[in-house]
Amino acid sequence: MNTLYLEYLKLKKKTRNWLGPILVFILIMIAYPLTVEFLQKDLEQGFFSLLWISMLLSMMLATEDIFLEDFNDGSLEQILISTSSFPILIAKKIFIYWAMIGIPISLFSFLFSLSITKDLQVSLLIMPLSMLCTYIFLNLFVFGSALSLNKGSVLGAIITMPIALPVLIVLGKSVIAIQFGINYLEFLLLLLGGLSIIITAVPFIVSYVIKAHLE
Amino acid sequence: MIKKFIHQFASPKTYLFQVNRVYKYIFYFSLLIYTFSLIWGLLFTPEDFVQGNSFRIIYLHVPASFLSQSLYAIMAIASVTYLIWRVKLAAYLIIAIAPIGAMTTFLALISGSIWGIPTWGTWWQWDARITSTLILFIMYLGLISLHNSFSNFEKADKLLSWLVIVGFINIPIIKKSVDWWSTLHQSASITLTDKPSIDPSMLYPLIGSMIGFFGLIFCLVIISSKLQIFKREKTKSWIKDYV
Amino acid sequence: MFEFAFKSFQEAIYMNGHGVYVWSVVIILIFCLVCAFSYYKIKLKEYKKKLDETY
Repeated sequence: MNTLYLEYLKLKKKTRNWLGPILVFILIMIAYPLTVEFLQKDLEQGFFSLLWISMLLSMMLATEDIFLEDFNDGSLEQILISTSSFPILIAKKIFIYWAMIGIPISLFSFLFSLSITKDLQVSLLIMPLSMLCTYIFLNLFVFGSALSLNKGSVLGAIITMPIALPVLIVLGKSVIAIQFGINYLEFLLLLLGGLSIIITAVPFIVSYVIKAHLE
Repeated sequence: MIKKFIHQFASPKTYLFQVNRVYKYIFYFSLLIYTFSLIWGLLFTPEDFVQGNSFRIIYLHVPASFLSQSLYAIMAIASVTYLIWRVKLAAYLIIAIAPIGAMTTFLALISGSIWGIPTWGTWWQWDARITSTLILFIMYLGLISLHNSFSNFEKADKLLSWLVIVGFINIPIIKKSVDWWSTLHQSASITLTDKPSIDPSMLYPLIGSMIGFFGLIFCLVIISSKLQIFKREKTKSWIKDYV
Repeated sequence: MFEFAFKSFQEAIYMNGHGVYVWSVVIILIFCLVCAFSYYKIKLKEYKKKLDETY
């Protein structure tokens, strides 16, 4: 069977892992207007920062125990021994996670930003940004959860959080660029460049880290 | 010859004996230079035209922030050597440097924020340089906590060195943040390529304090790596001769 | 180059109102360095003692 499809089936079975982060994201987004008085002007001010931070948190939740089940039933060791392309398998796994969690979240981010800013152009431009940043966050947190593999705690995610912070800085800058209508593409390309490095590097690093765990 | 030298020096035993010989000279020499250039800088340089007397913090702030980044770079080099050539000493160095790097980053942050009160009118500003230095500080704390969460030293070393290498992307961001984003923080006064944008009477004590601080921190690294060697190699027979 | 920048010793401590900042940084830095050195020295002694006892 195709490994990509297999990974999809595996993730689909674990409802908690893919539905949980999306629900957390939606709940934060719904809870946000309730905490600010229903005044249009105040709502817009902190919305985008909250959007990025809740994306970061939901990605952290999604990858919390990405390898834990495979590690516990011993299939991780078998995969490591049997297949010669362990990094490619990890890349596929991350892609499936992104397709199941990252894309819905970026669609919802479009919906919520439209409902709050009432500005179609801004909300449309937010979508590619959120797609890119969810993929970057996923990759980084997969690395983090590989570091603290059998601990099953959020330690790894907390450790890799500082690496994700420069991405947040770029995101904040790009939102300002969108709102003022200036060179938005520059930031998008910066994120895309970062993503292309991360996509190629992270699977190899993660495979080495897991090998170090299982030795 | 170089390869042979590295292999010989990289064994914890020779490292310990060689380092013990030079430790005292480095310590007293750098202490002398540091105190001398601090006194020179704090009391004997002319007042800055714009910043007044508060510019004298430069003699404490710049060495600390310079070292906070270069210690991380040294850690990255050590982790690459550990992962490629399996040099045990490099692994000891990584975890020996981490707390000291955290300390220097803390010193850089504290001295910078105290310097900010008279010159910027605020002790904290969320601009690129300061925020990325704070991120570096959190990175150091994360490295220490990761290493402490494993009881198996060898596994902890491997994971730690991977984390150090991945986290190295922060260093160029910190280094270039002053040029890339418009911030309150001034750009570097001294660079290798250009003429320094600072008067010689202020420059010489700065260079002296940098050398002195570097030497002192180097001594700290030596002591803490000694501690690591004692911790890890306590079962080896040569330790007995040393003690 | 080696001229005393202040008129008196009191002025050197006061530094036109900036002395508080400068000297507090000096104190914090020296305190941290002394603490670090003494911490590692004490730890090193402890370990040496432990090693002595085992042999």
